Amino acid sequence: MNLRVPANTRRSGSASTGSDPQQESAAAGEAHARFAAPRGKIHPDRDLGWIRRLWPVVAGHRGIFAIALGASIVSLLCGVAVPRIMMAAIDQALDHRTRALSGFIFLIAGLGLVRGIGGYISRSFLFRVAYAIENDLRVLLFEHFSRLSFSFYDRVQSGQLISRANSDIRTLQMFLTFGPLMCLTILSFAAAIGLMLTISVPLTVVTILPLPFVAILGARLGRLTFPISWIVQARQAELATTVEENLSGVRVVKAFAGERSQIEQFDQIARQLQWINIRQAEVQAANAPAMEAMPRIGTAMVLLIGGWLTMEGHLTIGAIVAFTTYVVMLQAPFRMFGFFLMMLQRAAASALRIYEVLDEDPAVVDRTNATDLHNPSGTLEFRNVFFRYADGPRVLDDFSLKIPAGQSIAIVGRTGCGKSTVGRLLARFYDVNEGVVLIDGEDVRDFTLESLRAQVGVVAEDPFLFTAAIHDNIAYARPTASREDVREAARAAGALEFIENLPEGFDSVIGERGYDLSGGQRQRIAIARSLLANPRILILDDATSAIDVHVERTIHEKLGDLLVNRTTIVIAHRLSTIALADRVILIDEGRVIADGKHADLMRTESRYAEVLAHFGEEEEKEVTP
Amino acid sequence: MSFGGGGFAPGPIFGGLGGQGGQNLPFAGVPEELREKVDRVLEDEPEISKQAIEFHPENYDRRPFGLWRFLAPHKVALGGALGLVVLETLALQAGPMLTKVAIDSGIRAGKIDVLLGVALTYLFLIGITIFTSRARIIVTTRVGADLMVRLRVRLFTHLQRLSLGFFTQEKGGVLFSRMTSDPMSLAQLFHEGLVQLAVQIFTLLVVTGFILSLNVKLALILLVSVIPAMTVMTLWFRSASADRFLAVRDRIADVLAHLQESLAGIRTVTAFNRNAYTTVEHRNIVGDYREANEATAQVNALYGPGSEMVGILGQAVLFFVGGRMVLQGELTVGDLAAFILYLTAFFSPIQQLVQLYSVYQQGGAAVVKLREFLAIVPEVSEKADAYELPPIDGAIELENLDFSYTEGQQVLRNLNLQIQPGETFALVGSTGSGKSTIAKLVSRFYEPDRGTVRIDGHDLRDITFRSLRSQVGVIPQEPFLFASSVRDNVAFARPDASDEEVLAACHAVGVDEQVLKLPEGIHTMVHERGVTLSAGERQLLALARAFLAGPRLLVLDEATSNLDLRSEARIEQALDILLEGRTALIIAHRMATAQRADRIGVVDQGQIVEIGTHGELIAQEGRYAAMFETWASAGTTEKEDQ
Repeated sequence: MNLRVPANTRRSGSASTGSDPQQESAAAGEAHARFAAPRGKIHPDRDLGWIRRLWPVVAGHRGIFAIALGASIVSLLCGVAVPRIMMAAIDQALDHRTRALSGFIFLIAGLGLVRGIGGYISRSFLFRVAYAIENDLRVLLFEHFSRLSFSFYDRVQSGQLISRANSDIRTLQMFLTFGPLMCLTILSFAAAIGLMLTISVPLTVVTILPLPFVAILGARLGRLTFPISWIVQARQAELATTVEENLSGVRVVKAFAGERSQIEQFDQIARQLQWINIRQAEVQAANAPAMEAMPRIGTAMVLLIGGWLTMEGHLTIGAIVAFTTYVVMLQAPFRMFGFFLMMLQRAAASALRIYEVLDEDPAVVDRTNATDLHNPSGTLEFRNVFFRYADGPRVLDDFSLKIPAGQSIAIVGRTGCGKSTVGRLLARFYDVNEGVVLIDGEDVRDFTLESLRAQVGVVAEDPFLFTAAIHDNIAYARPTASREDVREAARAAGALEFIENLPEGFDSVIGERGYDLSGGQRQRIAIARSLLANPRILILDDATSAIDVHVERTIHEKLGDLLVNRTTIVIAHRLSTIALADRVILIDEGRVIADGKHADLMRTESRYAEVLAHFGEEEEKEVTP
Repeated sequence: MSFGGGGFAPGPIFGGLGGQGGQNLPFAGVPEELREKVDRVLEDEPEISKQAIEFHPENYDRRPFGLWRFLAPHKVALGGALGLVVLETLALQAGPMLTKVAIDSGIRAGKIDVLLGVALTYLFLIGITIFTSRARIIVTTRVGADLMVRLRVRLFTHLQRLSLGFFTQEKGGVLFSRMTSDPMSLAQLFHEGLVQLAVQIFTLLVVTGFILSLNVKLALILLVSVIPAMTVMTLWFRSASADRFLAVRDRIADVLAHLQESLAGIRTVTAFNRNAYTTVEHRNIVGDYREANEATAQVNALYGPGSEMVGILGQAVLFFVGGRMVLQGELTVGDLAAFILYLTAFFSPIQQLVQLYSVYQQGGAAVVKLREFLAIVPEVSEKADAYELPPIDGAIELENLDFSYTEGQQVLRNLNLQIQPGETFALVGSTGSGKSTIAKLVSRFYEPDRGTVRIDGHDLRDITFRSLRSQVGVIPQEPFLFASSVRDNVAFARPDASDEEVLAACHAVGVDEQVLKLPEGIHTMVHERGVTLSAGERQLLALARAFLAGPRLLVLDEATSNLDLRSEARIEQALDILLEGRTALIIAHRMATAQRADRIGVVDQGQIVEIGTHGELIAQEGRYAAMFETWASAGTTEKEDQ
């Protein structure tokens, strides 16, 4: 792309070269996709329970889920059957010697094999389902993040969103991985009890009598440990914060001789952590050994009562061995039960926190009959626009303004007068409360968001750059742009020289290895990025504020050519920037109060001179030697 | 407790912008339903208050750090714990032996009293197990927790001892893990490595002893068939899962990084229509993570059921060999039953011991890293006979200073400078000229290679750090605030200052009104997520901190960040108040600041090339005059444009 070609000829050329950003981004993504999109979404009905709402996502993987369940049941039945076969072997082959031993040996070995293979299939597929659901949830949540509007991000801390997309999904995944396994273990418990009952009812009762206590102790342990582990984590975090701060604030600590008081503070936190760690161990010590010993009381009872029953001829020795083995098998589900309930609770809480985000509707969306904005001439109009951010004060108050296609205007006004809002409404980052914003005479809300934003470029004062190569940052809107195009855009934005002076040039990754750019350098990269996106309507929102006055002037010289035939809105403080515009608008209290050429306004409008004088002063302070 | 005034307030679900901060940290996310329980746990906590801790920059334990020396103070308790482990294991593993006695001597012999005796012994042994394992957990946790506190405080104290130069060379992340994750690895080495090692080894020994006493032949067969199979499987599992687990960790880090970056730049993503593209990008990254997870799951899915299978096949082997022995009368049924019950007792120790290997590796590496860290000697050290700096007037004298950060790149060359008490002296010069280095030498963050720095005639090398820094206040370029209350931040140098004194300091620099407007006044927590202070307010608080410290001499590295006009004016006023009656050395980044100093020194290539008042230097028409001209004209050219 040659940036110096006037916009109209470039437009005709872009269709054939396929560099129209809009088309590019529409096709974006799916071409690069290596994984399929989730098959199901969270059920939209907010009144349903959390598992019911999750069901459509699970159902997307029901095939492997069914296989997993089938294999699980086969394998658990095999496992439960083994002690019963052993009993038969001891009694019939060893004790009474009525049958040959080898048959039993083959049977046990066979059960072992089926148990192993079934268990492998069961776990492998259960894990797969859990990871697939986790995957779907992550993708669904991210997709939703990318749909939500600026107003959402204005009021929500991104840390909160990250914790939902990370720890909450993990909690849910943990439950999805182990939940079914635990259900199966509980099922195997039922199967074992069934088998035991066929051998001896009284002995079964004796064996399972201590088990409820395992569950009680387990639940108690979980209940007591849970808040403690929260405190442990919080105190560890506190300790880590202190370390982190002493590393980043080392100059302050040293400058004010704060070493000793920092050590004393650290020591205090370390001892608080020590206390809670010991408390945790005490709770553990008071419950866990007793819990683990409980089933063995059952074993003692089996030996005493089972032995007596055997002597009386009601039972066999094989049954005693089988029961002793079952006791071990039975305690696992009981131990897990408390843990399972806790996980269920936590998973439910996490699911609700995830749904809370997913249920958030984006404020700015395409209308159903929206059309694409295609090659606009760039006539802009604000007609009686009223706007406020959330519940804030009114920012635009019956604001009206017409800008002919291709004109460049400067908007001037005090901080908070609503200057920046003008650009944000044009790109539909927000929608007006009342009134209408028009491009080429049509309401911006009647265009598709994607086509609109491809034509409206906004360069902010404090631009966000990605932790990626400078090349990728500039080519952000057009990832397929050639290196030459990117270079040209950088040149036009006055960024070429400093980029080429970096050891790795355009491949330098921003934010890594000391490639921390100054505010002015970041702004220049942001300008290059917007130039490469090639919008018909360009809004420079104080986009050169951190750039040295001299450098800015050369950028403007280059920009001058590029801005021909583009409708440009410059929001600025500097006279040099304002001078670039054909026309100047003065805004105050959300309304246009003066409109004209700079020179005329200076003469006729006292408020204009006043605002500018204020900027002049400010500028003097900003310049550094 | 330093959980902030608000206790355990839960984090706002969707907190408003700059909402009621303060009380959210550090418990940013205690769920509502847990708060009461957490409070109840903490009711029992005794008051853990700050203790006075001796801090000597020079006198400390310089013996190399090692595991044995680390554990030695607790050797009696550890010996006791070992005794408990032996008892616990014997009592726990006696069960199958009792089963054998019950079957052979009780049931088969028809003696009910033997059965009764067996059952009672069983119950007694259960009691012993509960008691010993309870005692063991408590003893080892107490020892472990005590070791951790002492290690952490020792590391942190050493960190405080190190010179500034060390912090600039070393990456923050490395130091951070030296202070946090390495001690954790050591704690793990202690609890899992040493304690579990003892438990599992005794279990193996005891079980082996028991089965050998039952029948040597069958015991040997069991030892050579099942145990090697289990060991091989576990070894495979360890190596296979270790690699894959690392892959999962890398992939989830990618997922989080992409998520974080995308959310941070979500407005840019939207503005450039990259939503769909970014979503697919995320889908790919999440997909890779899922594949890594599935690979790990494969290993888990093979190992768990695989070891169960080995267990069942082991039983088949026992029946195959043992069953025949019973038929031939070489073995009793009770013996065989005991063997079957002991079979699974082997599994857990083997699995645990193999898993312990990585704990040893990490723990061993941590010991080495900590030893190296504790062996670092501070570059700038205090002399053994250093004396307290008496109250100073604030005369600074730099004589023939040479300095370089890295060999061969000299920053200061034979620099000489004298500053009178009460004088405000500004240093100007381009980046890299060495002006900031001069400030660092005056505050003795670094030591000159050659030459002397004197304050009121005292060579800095002869006086104690504490007495120096209590009289020399340094205000670093970026105002750093700790995540604690405004009060704690302002009273940093004098933690015992009263609230009134803190407020007075805020008043002096003119930030008291804003502070009082905060939700909890000076007790409001300052942190990234909470109340957002403007850059100007942060700088003013940093000045209030210096004001409260009340140093005789101020070294100020002027902040470079751009402020709005009003904040700028307020900071200038605050500086005027702060500098009054004090000697001040200012590293000036703005000509306006330099202009207001009593005298100005121009630094170039490590030397002072011009010195004098603003008027004198302008008259000289040298470098300063040129710099001033450029700066002044930048403003006026703009005005000419009008």
